Amino acid sequence: MRKRIWLLILFLVPLTGCYDQIEVEQQTYVIAIGIDKTDVEGKFRITFQAANPEVGSTISSGGSQEEPRETVTLVGNDLIATKDTANSVMTKQIALDHTKVVVVSEELARSGEFLRLIQAAARTTELRRSVQIIVSKENASDFLKNNQPLLETRPHKYYQYMLSRATETGIIPEADIHRFFQITEGDADAFLAIYATTQHAEEKIEGNEDQYIAGQIPIEGGNPTQFMGSAVFKEGKMIDVLSGQETRIANILDDTMEMEALYSTYPDPKNKKYRIAANFTKDRPIDVEIDYQKDQPTKINITVPFSIEVIGIPSLVDYSQNGENRSLLEAYIPKFAEEEANNLIKKTQEEYKTDVFYWSLYIRKYFSTIEEYEKADWNHNIYPNAEINVDFKLKQLYFGKMIDDSNIGEVRD
Amino acid sequence: MFKKESRLRSREAFAMIILMIGVKISNTTPSLFAQTGANAMWLMPSISLVVILPSVLLLYYLLKKYEDKNLVELLEDVLGSHIGKVIAFLLFLIFFVLMAIEGRSYTEQLKLLYFPDSPTPFVFFILFAIAFYGAKRGLETIGSASYIFLFYIKASVLLLAVLIFRETITDRIFPIFGNGLKPLVIEGAKKASIFSDVFLLTMAYTSFDSSKKFRLGVLSGFAFVFIEMTFFFFLYCTTFDYNSIDKVAFPFHELTQYVDMGDFFTNIETFFMIFWLFAAFIKYMIYLYFISWIFGAVFNIKEFEPLILPFAFFGIVAGMVPENAVINELVFKSSFMNMITPFFVGFPVLLWLVAKIKGDLRR
Repeated sequence: MRKRIWLLILFLVPLTGCYDQIEVEQQTYVIAIGIDKTDVEGKFRITFQAANPEVGSTISSGGSQEEPRETVTLVGNDLIATKDTANSVMTKQIALDHTKVVVVSEELARSGEFLRLIQAAARTTELRRSVQIIVSKENASDFLKNNQPLLETRPHKYYQYMLSRATETGIIPEADIHRFFQITEGDADAFLAIYATTQHAEEKIEGNEDQYIAGQIPIEGGNPTQFMGSAVFKEGKMIDVLSGQETRIANILDDTMEMEALYSTYPDPKNKKYRIAANFTKDRPIDVEIDYQKDQPTKINITVPFSIEVIGIPSLVDYSQNGENRSLLEAYIPKFAEEEANNLIKKTQEEYKTDVFYWSLYIRKYFSTIEEYEKADWNHNIYPNAEINVDFKLKQLYFGKMIDDSNIGEVRD
Repeated sequence: MFKKESRLRSREAFAMIILMIGVKISNTTPSLFAQTGANAMWLMPSISLVVILPSVLLLYYLLKKYEDKNLVELLEDVLGSHIGKVIAFLLFLIFFVLMAIEGRSYTEQLKLLYFPDSPTPFVFFILFAIAFYGAKRGLETIGSASYIFLFYIKASVLLLAVLIFRETITDRIFPIFGNGLKPLVIEGAKKASIFSDVFLLTMAYTSFDSSKKFRLGVLSGFAFVFIEMTFFFFLYCTTFDYNSIDKVAFPFHELTQYVDMGDFFTNIETFFMIFWLFAAFIKYMIYLYFISWIFGAVFNIKEFEPLILPFAFFGIVAGMVPENAVINELVFKSSFMNMITPFFVGFPVLLWLVAKIKGDLRR
């Protein structure tokens, strides 16, 4: 008998593992967090957007008429502490393990207060390092409220697909918290955050496919939310917005960014009325050569190997078989790309006084200790005065699966 | 006495040494190194190795010369019963304190990351209860368990390395010497006791089936774990920039929380936690067993296995002394590691000198 009692007691020991047990059902999964400024310093308006896991899953067949998401905004001092206050409205324990994005209003980002709040978030184990940072033109709370995706109504899927696709095309940067801290604490380069908005600008700009920033894209239908371009953070403070095109260039020139092929158009060198559509692929890492001398301006030579697949030639000029035209195009595209890149580099050197390409990595080799490296001062000294030369090297030129375009003269005849 | 029929062969020694030192990759030791090493901390294990290796080889040479003697018997034989016992007792104290400090560190990590609501003593108690249960099974069981789990534990670590590789930026290791070569070398040398477990394992010298196999197992395991450690420290250095790496308390867990396998398998840290926990269990089994063994040898207690229970209990009590994990790590563990380094570097040399003078080595 006594043995049995002992055995029972022994079985109680593993039960201590249940101390922290919590059912999946007892938690609310916050997918997006919005942070806004208030009039009082040190206080923030914090928005939690939670997903309803029942919606759209195959298990709940029909029955559920609930909303796919719940959005709550409240004022608080700290991201994590505010969670408990939010429980006055939200029913279950709030979990941040599955948070995908942190949305920061442009106003807060520009004030430089953002760093304080997000520091605290890094201290907890809940918020992942892979959370992406989005800067919204309007208040983050409005952004989260207005964002009404039509197809991916479940917010976790929406952000996941939206961001991964937009990052692939290069119109927005990859901007997770981990990268934000490495670059901001490294104190040498500027960090690019995703720029987005649900408010549309009054005047639509007539531009080419990626020359917009969010809100300017003349688009009809769909979700009002636009992701385009990037917010530049220097030392944890937002200083400017880059357009989609500039973001793409920054992505190309930065080897630490993962970017796949992107579609873009280039002016037709033979007929300036039209633009050639092409698929740009950077298939090899860029080559950065730095000639560092202590007292002279540093020379930075960058070679970007890339290949182009021409998809559309609306001017119907024969570029594929006519050798002369082909070499014209081969010379023209790199020149065009270089020009765009040089414009951005010039802007960063003169306006930002820091680079957005994480190039400080390449100069580190020239120093043996951190002290020397920090003394040389990439941010204030080396980069703004550097002589930078970008060289786009067209490795391959493809022409799609057609040998020739239809001859418009013969068709019209 | 070497037993031909012993189940402990070189592969068990190989597995045990890897698990004992290997868990240091995944606890707070890297963040300790990063405080001075910054982005050059991956060079520090090499410096530590250079400092400690002569002593390790010397001790293993002496063991071979004296045949049939484990660590404590060797100490007593060379230095005489009294001095030998004093040094053996010091060894006991050192490993006991190490066990308590690291046990606390493990408990804190577990609590912080996976069991936020459970009280620390509870987690500590469960951890040591399992370690006690394993240690009580005896050395052969511990050895076999180490060998069986070694592959799975290392496979999970390898998976993590593969997953994090995408996020690393190799240029982050520059400037190559971090905060400077001098502090790097000094700190690396001070922390040479990171490899102190190699000395602990010599206690089991005579329990293996032959001297040669024991040495082969331990030294090859030692080489393996050194390479693994350098590689992982390198991964930490390339994942975190030099200004951020010293702010991270648990780099291993930061990595497991950061990685994902595609969009579907996110938040996979619990998968790695299981293997990490198994490694920790085995390590504390080994520690508990060996500590009791040394204690038993010093005080001539032949049946030392009943001592395991009280030492597990005292381990918890001692581990609960520091107020919180940060103090435990940055103050106690750091200074303790610095303190014991000269001891580990010195005592094999002392042994060798005495043996040389006594003329024992010419046998």
